[in-house]
Amino acid sequence: MDMKNAITRARRGLREERRLYIVAVTSLAVAFICLGATLLGVTNLDAAAARWGQSGRITLFLKDDADAQDVAQLRVVLEGLADVSEVTHVTPTQARESFLEEADVGADLSALPSEVFPASLEVALVQGVTRERSESIATRLAQFRAVSDVESYGSWFQKLDQLLWGARMLALGLALLVMFCVVAVIGNTIRLAVARRRQEIEVMKLCGATNGFVRGPFVLEGMFQGFASALLAILALLVGYLALHDSVDSTLAALTGSRVVFLGVWTLVALLVGGAVIGAIGSAVSVRRYLAV
Amino acid sequence: MQGTKVVRPFPFFRAGARASQPQLSKPILVLEDVYKFFRPDQPTLRGVDLSVERGEFAFITGPSGAGKSTLLKLVYRELRVDEGRVLFCGRDIGRLTDKSIPFLRRNLGIVFQDFRIIDHWTVFENVAVALEIVSMPQRLIRSRVAEALERVGLAGRGPEQTSNLSGGEKQRVAVARAIVPEPALILADEPTGNLDPHLAIDILTLFEEINSTGTTVLFATHDHSLISKRDHRLISIDDGRVSEAQQGLKHWQGSSGIHTLVG
Ligand SMILES: Nc1ncnc2c1ncn2[C@@H]1O[C@H](COP(=O)(O)OP(=O)(O)OP(=O)(O)O)[C@@H](O)[C@H]1O
Ligand SMILES: [Mg+2]
Repeated sequence: MDMKNAITRARRGLREERRLYIVAVTSLAVAFICLGATLLGVTNLDAAAARWGQSGRITLFLKDDADAQDVAQLRVVLEGLADVSEVTHVTPTQARESFLEEADVGADLSALPSEVFPASLEVALVQGVTRERSESIATRLAQFRAVSDVESYGSWFQKLDQLLWGARMLALGLALLVMFCVVAVIGNTIRLAVARRRQEIEVMKLCGATNGFVRGPFVLEGMFQGFASALLAILALLVGYLALHDSVDSTLAALTGSRVVFLGVWTLVALLVGGAVIGAIGSAVSVRRYLAV
Repeated sequence: MQGTKVVRPFPFFRAGARASQPQLSKPILVLEDVYKFFRPDQPTLRGVDLSVERGEFAFITGPSGAGKSTLLKLVYRELRVDEGRVLFCGRDIGRLTDKSIPFLRRNLGIVFQDFRIIDHWTVFENVAVALEIVSMPQRLIRSRVAEALERVGLAGRGPEQTSNLSGGEKQRVAVARAIVPEPALILADEPTGNLDPHLAIDILTLFEEINSTGTTVLFATHDHSLISKRDHRLISIDDGRVSEAQQGLKHWQGSSGIHTLVG
């Protein structure tokens, strides 16, 4: 197929059918915005999870009757571990104070005695310790005599994982839906374009144009529409991102300590290339069906 | 055609390719006992035998619905014969695969009554399309289109919008499009049907000029006045059968009168 000629004719087609194509691109952009927004959510959730996962933490709750010597020994063991960066001893009084401070609850709870709060050792792990590693450290620490309970926040991470999985599935479902929309909308637009250019097609066929020659520009036009829709959606999301960035970022930073991020380069590339490829597929399917050359 | 990388299943059909000597001396188009049925009981063409030599000019005539257009369609493979053979340059057109049809058509120039010109294209674009489909370089397309436009009397009018042209001019553009790839055979299906009499003569003369440079022309018409003005070979179709006169209406030997001949 003569690519240069196909491009020239596709450009003419895009110019002649611009009204038709603008409608298609706009509606597909909306679909891409939904997908992009979900991906944006996944990306940020991922980033937050990665951040929390990195700043690993284990809390060792000490027995009420723990021997001070046992506790001291435990501290020495902990500080000797390569994965541990810092160990803090939290007394029941301190625990009660920080609880009341963070929970911001009514006077009823403030009446709680310190004994309700067990003493604990807050163990901060060094950066980059995997979750599996922190689990195994936690299991080993549970063996110590002074330790009554170990919290390695595993279940909390599990919940986060579930949330992430759900978001990913949503994104996948949306991606499939968007794919379907692109194929359907572009297929339909190309069908209209084929009908409107019936005369030209007939002339080309009578002059001896091959199927590929006649179909080529339509496939390129579909490809362009898919690409343009994805690009338009990305630009819209970027504008929204930049407009809301400051206010959302400060809230999120205060809440979770992580910062808002935009879609990664590869996600952007995948959206654009995916849009183009699916657009081309949609028009190729349509052109095969409605352009029996 | 120069500058083309297209793989052709039928190299002989390359436009401008010089056929071998024995091929040149054979008729360019032969119909052998051709049948075409649109209804099983009533063939539109029944047992048509016809032979057209290279460089000939022939009228195809007959009453409306006789099968003139059908006969031409069999040649450019819009339709396929039901029985018999259509040989173009010795090749059986009926047995071409769908993929080969474009390569057949690149050796034919086809002109219709309704011009089939794209109104929103310029004159140049309308003619150039016949060369663009074989991926000819733009530079070559420009010079060949200019040459073709000159031959049809539209020199320098390439940039004009086709929608502004008169009927006669539109048909000239269509003729330019048909001749620009230098086809071996021109099929004209009532090319003067939409034009008034003196314009019809102009277009006929144009086809005769093209024929004088060696291109074979089949000119379908039921315009009695047009046929009677010239001395060309006359192929008449009636009731699905062909009867002929070698030198125009004056020499018509058929048993039926002129009026049944041309409808
Ligand atoms: N695709 C088709 N399907 C069914 N019947 C057809 C088809 N094409 C042609 N016919 C019939 O075949 C006959 C010959 O048609 P054709 O168009 O060849 O006539 P014609 O000689 O060109 O007539 P005109 O001078 O009016 O153009 C007609 O009776 C027509 O109805
Ligand atoms: Mg006809």
